[in-house]
Amino acid sequence: MLTAKSSLGVIFFPAYDWAISETHPEREERLLYTQDQFREEGLFDIQGITEYRPLRASDQDILRTHFCFPTVGDICTESHRISAGGAIQAARLVMEKETQSAFALVRPPGHHAMKVVQGNRGFCNINIEAVMVEWIRERYGRKKIAIVDTDCHHGDGTQDVYWHDPDVLFISLHQDGRTLYPGSGFPNEIGGPKALGKTMNIPLPPNTSDEGYLHAIEQVVLPILADFKPDLVINSAGQDNHYSDPITNMSFSAQGYARLNEMLRPDIAVLEGGYSIKGALPYVNLGICLAMAGCDYSNVREHDYDPDTIREQEDTMNYIKRLCRQLPDLYFYPKPGNYEKEAGYFVREREIFYDTDNILENQREELRDCDQCSGVRFVKSRAGWKQACYGVELPWDCCPVCEQEGYARFHQKNDGYQVFQMIDRKNKQYTYR
Amino acid sequence: MRIGIDIGGTHTDGVLIDGKNLLTAAKVPTVHGNLLESISHVLRLILSGHDPKMIDTLNLSTTLSTNAIVTGRIEPVGVLVVGGPGIAPEVFRIGEHFHLIPGSLDHLGTETTPLDKKRLNEAIVDCVEKNVRSYAAVAKFSPRNPKHENTIKQSLGDKADFVSMGHLVSGNLNFGRRIHTAYYNSAVWRTFMTFSTALVESLRGFEIQAEINILKADGGTMPLSRALENPVQSIFSGPAASVMGILAMVPSESDVLILDIGGTTTDIALFAGGQPLLEREGISIEDRPTLVRAIHVESIGIGGDSQIRIEDNTVMVGPQRLGPCMATAGPAPALMDAFNVLGLSHFADSHRSLEGMEKLAHGQELDARQLAKAAVDAAVNQISSKIDALITLVNSKPVYTIHEILEERKIEPTKLIVIGGPAMVFKELLHNRLGMEVVVPPLHEVANAVGAALTRTTAHLALTADTATGMVSAPRVEVFRSVSKNYTLAKAVEEAKALLIADLEKVGVAISAEAIQVTQADSFNVVEDFYTVGRNIRVVVQLQPAVMSALDMTKVDIPVINQS
Repeated sequence: MLTAKSSLGVIFFPAYDWAISETHPEREERLLYTQDQFREEGLFDIQGITEYRPLRASDQDILRTHFCFPTVGDICTESHRISAGGAIQAARLVMEKETQSAFALVRPPGHHAMKVVQGNRGFCNINIEAVMVEWIRERYGRKKIAIVDTDCHHGDGTQDVYWHDPDVLFISLHQDGRTLYPGSGFPNEIGGPKALGKTMNIPLPPNTSDEGYLHAIEQVVLPILADFKPDLVINSAGQDNHYSDPITNMSFSAQGYARLNEMLRPDIAVLEGGYSIKGALPYVNLGICLAMAGCDYSNVREHDYDPDTIREQEDTMNYIKRLCRQLPDLYFYPKPGNYEKEAGYFVREREIFYDTDNILENQREELRDCDQCSGVRFVKSRAGWKQACYGVELPWDCCPVCEQEGYARFHQKNDGYQVFQMIDRKNKQYTYR
Repeated sequence: MRIGIDIGGTHTDGVLIDGKNLLTAAKVPTVHGNLLESISHVLRLILSGHDPKMIDTLNLSTTLSTNAIVTGRIEPVGVLVVGGPGIAPEVFRIGEHFHLIPGSLDHLGTETTPLDKKRLNEAIVDCVEKNVRSYAAVAKFSPRNPKHENTIKQSLGDKADFVSMGHLVSGNLNFGRRIHTAYYNSAVWRTFMTFSTALVESLRGFEIQAEINILKADGGTMPLSRALENPVQSIFSGPAASVMGILAMVPSESDVLILDIGGTTTDIALFAGGQPLLEREGISIEDRPTLVRAIHVESIGIGGDSQIRIEDNTVMVGPQRLGPCMATAGPAPALMDAFNVLGLSHFADSHRSLEGMEKLAHGQELDARQLAKAAVDAAVNQISSKIDALITLVNSKPVYTIHEILEERKIEPTKLIVIGGPAMVFKELLHNRLGMEVVVPPLHEVANAVGAALTRTTAHLALTADTATGMVSAPRVEVFRSVSKNYTLAKAVEEAKALLIADLEKVGVAISAEAIQVTQADSFNVVEDFYTVGRNIRVVVQLQPAVMSALDMTKVDIPVINQS
């Protein structure tokens, strides 16, 4: 019988009773064939690979991470709490050393959910990796964490949550934003003024296959990880780079995904997108599990797998090589951008579109440029006809001046805002007014 | 009237039961190598004074298959395996005649690589040359499409006396387990068949015309004719028979734990709402997981003869057993001796117990009594933590719907039924430690035979339908037919029940649709290119283990005829 070289916990939660809508890609059937494949392969008969049920994320777990406007209940259904709870279970297994690594094979996904959430963007309501990371840091203290987002879509939500956080290195590999939703994730997005170089974007051209993708991992991701020396590596493991995925244009294979995880050696992997539910997911998920457990995956392949037909053209490969030569500099020698500043605050004003829910949010973010701490942050969010919302975040190392200013504004006269939320990381208080 | 016989490793136990009433019970030695002799022996004792023609059911729990496997007295099996992509099928190599035949099916049952007939024939020739007569044919995803397995069976033709086909051993997915199950099934088939023929002959001699059933590890029975097709299902039925016997003696609708405390080990089983907790997929044989459904039994190395020792100033009990306890002239102090020293029991020679414990305590910072108390505490703690672990396990088993996470009933046993030699001694201790009601039923030495007599047929059937591809399949009963677009979940449940009823009717077992439990009924929208093209339906139905009637415990005060 097979034995895992490295023990792996798999939180398999297919949410067989939940869908965005009947024919939406994010529906009940999505992990059905993956489960069939797991069962037939006897994945959980392998010594060292164990199946777990998810935990359930509480209001506090979510409010610690997000500005949930206007309420948690308005944004989150039970499915989101349990999906995030699946990621938390994965973290618990690894942090408590019950298993050496863990894979949260849960749905719905979360990597398009930003710091402020007003609704569903790109199938995501709350950011399940971010909820997990904040759960880890609340319980186990300050950690250096690397999130490598291997979903085919730019992980714009996770990028936004950690834009100002120098402790979290976020690297997204994705199909070039000029050709795919959400249309962001360009190399010049390198993080906020306090976290320069801690955001990395690797936009890959359409039809990138195994060689090109793994080239980027080897030439860009691994050297940066070696320098950053994270306490934890998290793979935000979307599976829509697959050659059979119906909503993207890449040419990655199950073998490629398995090799990618073998190279990356993530402590925790969390499923994101991936909607070729019959042709890709059963094989990709099997490949990832085997690779994470250190088992032989060489015989895992799609029934129609033919490396010659999916291989990238020479031009594509040359483009990727050129790109990968330039990208590491953005981490090692980041150049400060032209950050807008008003009265001691870095300011960002943005419009954010929630495609699934058809909401347009106007958002203004102010981060205090403090030399004593990471700086208090304020966000003002208005989304269509919904209530105007105001969020205050005090960092874990908050100085007295920022703390006083934060609470003063949290308790200020309404000033046209109906909802106020405080994320006080210093005192671990997460409340609405 | 019903007869229950349990052939165990040491004893063969038999009971005769009429309705709720235990009429006779007997215990004789098991004669390995001639189990029929043991059966005849026990039958003579329990039938004495009763008309054998009144017996309508004889249920037999036998170690025949288990022993054949454990002692290696099994016949060679030609294992013909069709793998395909995924975990390399070589991992599941078993026996001396294991052949991989190229070919593959995907998870929908679609043939993606045709079966390599040339390689198949070469494998068959090789097996025939080595005088192999018994075969196992197993393809990955065969429950979705039995084509390759059927082809193998056809190609074998009369070169095989017996072929176990993977899709018939269980409708459930799990390729490796299916290979192991089919292998063992074919390996014990001839032994079982020979035994069965002799058994039928012998019962004729007793003028017994009863229907004969064989006990399974899931606590239920199967008709003898079914057992001839699936002899592997008869393995490890002994512990299951005991558990069912206890349920017949102490009927429990709530959650209960059952402890069988023996000389070397304590076995722990759990009943939730009257249903035994089963192994998730199946029991393991020689450390190889199979698809044989079985009651989940946790074993822990604590029993009356568990050795007591002191390591690093800590008193430890078990899992070693050096022999019987000192009270019965054993070599070293054991748990039973500790009970004797504390006055909790007066088993055999208590003086020897005390002598042994004093010797062990000598030079330590405690006296014999303190040592005995520490040993008993350690034993109770071990049992108690194992019980906690079992309850945690059952309450944390994976679930796949939001509904289950939010609504699922937590399993919280409030009663403990204890049997076995030291059961009475443990009664008060376990009550104090766990705060549960503890019951020690009388007559526990023949609980296994009572369970055998009173348990009923169990069966299990999985049905899968895909209205997009237009197929419905119930592999275990060989149903693979086309289905129309308007096939629904309700129709699938109805069909699964009807198939299970018909399947049992074939072997003379009549059941009603109401007795059938639906354990899975799911229907998924199948979407292609953003349009619904059909529904994928999954149904599992079962006839769960249950006792025919509870034993009238006011009338069990009969002597067990003990000739062991």
